[in-house]
Amino acid sequence: MLADQPQRAAARLLSWIEDEDPRAVAALQATWSRTGNGYVIGVTGPPGAGKSTLVDCLAVHAAAQGHTVGVLAVDPTSPFSGGAVLGDRLRMNGAQQQGVFIRSVATRGHLGGLTATTRYLVNALELLGCDLVFVETVGAGQGDVEVVQLADTTVVVEVPGLGDEVQAQKAGILEIGDLLLVNKSDRPGADRLAQELLSAVELGEPRDWQPPVLQVTAIEGTGIDAAWDAIADHRVHMEAGPLADDRLARQMRELEQQLQQQLFRDRMVTIGDDALRSAAERVLARRSDPFSAINRLAN
Amino acid sequence: MGGKIRVLIAKPGLDGHDRGAKVVARALRDAGMEVIYTGLRQSPEDIVSAAIQEDVQFIGLSILSGAHGHIFPRVLELLKEQGASDIKLIAGGIIPDDEIPKWKEMGVTGIFGPGSSTVDIVDFIRAQSGA
Repeated sequence: MLADQPQRAAARLLSWIEDEDPRAVAALQATWSRTGNGYVIGVTGPPGAGKSTLVDCLAVHAAAQGHTVGVLAVDPTSPFSGGAVLGDRLRMNGAQQQGVFIRSVATRGHLGGLTATTRYLVNALELLGCDLVFVETVGAGQGDVEVVQLADTTVVVEVPGLGDEVQAQKAGILEIGDLLLVNKSDRPGADRLAQELLSAVELGEPRDWQPPVLQVTAIEGTGIDAAWDAIADHRVHMEAGPLADDRLARQMRELEQQLQQQLFRDRMVTIGDDALRSAAERVLARRSDPFSAINRLAN
Repeated sequence: MGGKIRVLIAKPGLDGHDRGAKVVARALRDAGMEVIYTGLRQSPEDIVSAAIQEDVQFIGLSILSGAHGHIFPRVLELLKEQGASDIKLIAGGIIPDDEIPKWKEMGVTGIFGPGSSTVDIVDFIRAQSGA
């Protein structure tokens, strides 16, 4: 497939995966043994926190260290039209100039911060030779913690000035961040936010890895070296032990979820619309209760 | 195919008037397309490289500075070099009427000047994509 144009081939494979085109499955089956060599860094945080700018800085830094870097930047799909304006690339000029492969990805109705197929998009970038993949989530709220399911290292980006929202989000954030970055640290309130995050981390149960809290100003490139070093430290920590177990647990969950969907689809086809309709009629006419109807359909 | 229509919208050259590009991006979004908006001052090299990575079917360029005489041929040439001539080039902005036949012959698929309706642009892209 377009062997002399690896970027086009990878880009087309990414589209097939996103479109759930059967050719994606065939391509991934044929190449699966060559995937799995990328380290995934998830970057999440509220809208406007500066995630794209930060990913740009980190990607440039990593590329300069000799990594082949890929970026997946997720933005929301409009629930009304199914369309999307994907603007993360706007902030990634530096990475683009360094030859980093950047792909803008629309959620296409998937909730949780990523998309239904992001896992396989990472594999497509691995086939292109990327050994480091940044996955930037949509502007995330408290429940959008799906990135942990995908990332080897999760970076949570916060900004000063969100006031009480920050307070409210702390519990979720501290659970998923391997590294907490206070971006826009040239703004008032940044020191205090960093202090609050740090004391919240220290209040928690001691863990093998205590998430560091660092201040950065991505737009000026300030603090990026230290942030990168912290990511590298976490990677060393993970690769010294927890990573294998972590990846196994994530793969099990991944398989379980996809198996669930497939079994569900197959079973629903077997049951059929007619049986579903007559069960619904019986329930509405009070000739059956819903619990017995479900039991009958499921067995 | 059944895939989404993806369009890259860029503003090459040095003028900063991006209102038109934004209006078109929004109209395509509302028509259910995925628009990759790359913003101001993009070089032809940036544009073609982004279009390939994003696997778009269309590149939409908005140029009001008169730089199109340099940018159209360069973008078309780069697409050809990269084996990506299947990506269609569409343009908006200030393109003199008497030049339009020349650019279309050279490979610019559609040209939409001031006053064009977004409905026409959406319909044109749909028709060209075969959707």
